[in-house]
Amino acid sequence: MGAVEELGRWRRVAARTGPADRAEAETGVRWAYRAAGLAEPERIVWAGSPRGAVTAVTAMKEAGEEVGRSVRREVRTLPWAAERERLHRLLGPAGWSEHWARTAAPLWETTRSLVERVRTGVVEEVVASSGQGHAVRSILLDAVFGQHDAPWLFALGAGGGDGTGPLDGLAAVARAAGWWWPYEKVAVVAERPLELHRDEAGRLDRSDGPALAFPDGFALHAWKGMPVPADFLAELGSLTPERIRAEENAELRRVMLEHHGYDRYLTESGARPVHRDSTGVLWRIDLEDDEPVVAVEVVNSTPEPDGTYRTYWLRVPPTTRTAREGVAWTFGLHPDAYEPMVQS
Amino acid sequence: MYRQGDVLIVPVEEDALPEHVTGRPGLPRDARGRLVLAQGEVTGHAHAVVGPGKLVRESGPFGPTLLHLPDGGRVVHEEHAAIPLPRGWYRVVRQREYVPGAVRIVAD
Repeated sequence: MGAVEELGRWRRVAARTGPADRAEAETGVRWAYRAAGLAEPERIVWAGSPRGAVTAVTAMKEAGEEVGRSVRREVRTLPWAAERERLHRLLGPAGWSEHWARTAAPLWETTRSLVERVRTGVVEEVVASSGQGHAVRSILLDAVFGQHDAPWLFALGAGGGDGTGPLDGLAAVARAAGWWWPYEKVAVVAERPLELHRDEAGRLDRSDGPALAFPDGFALHAWKGMPVPADFLAELGSLTPERIRAEENAELRRVMLEHHGYDRYLTESGARPVHRDSTGVLWRIDLEDDEPVVAVEVVNSTPEPDGTYRTYWLRVPPTTRTAREGVAWTFGLHPDAYEPMVQS
Repeated sequence: MYRQGDVLIVPVEEDALPEHVTGRPGLPRDARGRLVLAQGEVTGHAHAVVGPGKLVRESGPFGPTLLHLPDGGRVVHEEHAAIPLPRGWYRVVRQREYVPGAVRIVAD
């Protein structure tokens, strides 16, 4: 399989939603234990989400069931490190960094941030209901990330094996299920999400429901990557400039502004542009107890199918004085250096 | 310099580029044989170059991405008009947006 097809395949693994393939995942779990030189787990327990898995592990431990110690180190850390070491020796440090850029790098940022968000979400919910922050965090350290290990598994050349390769088991679970917890006697495996909504930059993003939702009800709400409370989204449809100004949480106010539309807010508040030149228009919205929103209004140079030109708004640093300075900043350039000859 | 939506393509003098950068092997092309400068996560719409050339990821001051077009080429995108580029080396810059406390990449 070519590198490009392979990238597409792992990208799909990382973003896959819907019920786990339990038979394949359980085979993968057994392969992973065997490859680590361990006896297969006596039981494989399924959970509806990472939160469900953490709750299940906690309940088993509290009930005095013998789950045994975590074998994450043997199952994931050690074979993983050995493969990385092997590739390092084979490719050299520069070669390894090239290899990483061609394989894991395009998947890394979005997957890593998703893992982080799920982890934070689990801690928040379980702590809110039980107050056991330390115990929850320690269980989360024992997690193997299943589908979300895709970037590393791709870089390490895992997958497609028959169970005899050192990473075949981890790759099989990744293809078939979500996060999982290997203990000596028990393996707990979580379902994948049923819903995953992201924006073009790969951030969790949905305005009419959870951006990430698991079959047992565990869900995360987010707008362009920013975590928001579930009931907050319901309010977004009926915003007014007064309501936006009255919001005390600066982050939520920013989400409100974006959702409502800077242009609409500016029109409704009777704002005037601060500066205008050939690159666009600079706007400023002063907010109480917060830094001002300064944004450039830029027009797409290619007409839409209906002949109109799409306008978009980009927030720039509050110290920006001119439209050119703002637009140049969005590309990391000095205002004098920004001079596009052709735009589309 | 050329702008196609949220991507800016800035010519770079080849002499200014160190050899370890120009000599580096290029990134793989996509399934349609194109060099992808930037791609949307959901629509898959891409700023891409068709034809000969290479794309190099560079973590230093010339980065994050460099494009070499030995014979010139065209940048295409599903929602923007194509832009012809003369032969040479280019720095590819993705547009960013200010977020209090952080900076985030724009995607169109």
